[in-house]
Amino acid sequence: MNPIAQPGDNAARDLAAAIDLLWARFVPEIGERVGLLDAAATACAANQLSAAQCKAVHAAAHKLAGTLGTFNLARGTDLAREFELLFSGEDCPGPALAGRLTSIAAELRTIVESRK
Amino acid sequence: MAHKILIIDDEDDIREVAALSLESVAGWEVIVASSGAQGLARAIEHKPDAILLDVMMPGMDGPTTFRELRKNPVTAKIPVLLLTAKVQSSDQRRFADLGVEAVLFKPFDPLTLSAEIAGVLGWN
Repeated sequence: MNPIAQPGDNAARDLAAAIDLLWARFVPEIGERVGLLDAAATACAANQLSAAQCKAVHAAAHKLAGTLGTFNLARGTDLAREFELLFSGEDCPGPALAGRLTSIAAELRTIVESRK
Repeated sequence: MAHKILIIDDEDDIREVAALSLESVAGWEVIVASSGAQGLARAIEHKPDAILLDVMMPGMDGPTTFRELRKNPVTAKIPVLLLTAKVQSSDQRRFADLGVEAVLFKPFDPLTLSAEIAGVLGWN
């Protein structure tokens, strides 16, 4: 069995470049997940969130929380995790939280669209 | 001979980043599966040295897949590391109580994931 190689600068650069390529491939899917959060914030403001939508949004936010930091977007993970927690109760969040949801979704959109 | 590790995760992006990380940083052989059922089949077929198993998957989730792995004599002794984005301590305790080797957390650092796994399994 081989011991683990210590990643040097070149290895780190090569890995970062390969991860950038993966990001480019997966960013449409990640953008769709952010879109679900956007739509949920809008529906929340109108007090029109359904239970099914809340379940889907909770799952999308959970996936974003796990994914974004792996692509070096730690702030994105924090925001997605906050969104996930707001949807983790038995009831959907009420309109009083719509402002915060909208703000998180907008910042997430900016973070995702800004990554090269 | 390089270590052989099976990654079971339904999320394509996470699965591919993890595979890339373990192959390129550690030089391990990586096998992937996108569901618990597929993971069970791949584990029996390839007999990996370890399994990195996502918790939240549609159909057969991570804990259920783990129990099935333990029931099968072919896979019962393969070390399993759970990979989860759950951060609540109650979840963490529940996962640790399953009897897995370790619980690792998403997001992970692709540059250090292999070292983390190797450390848990004593592969250093």
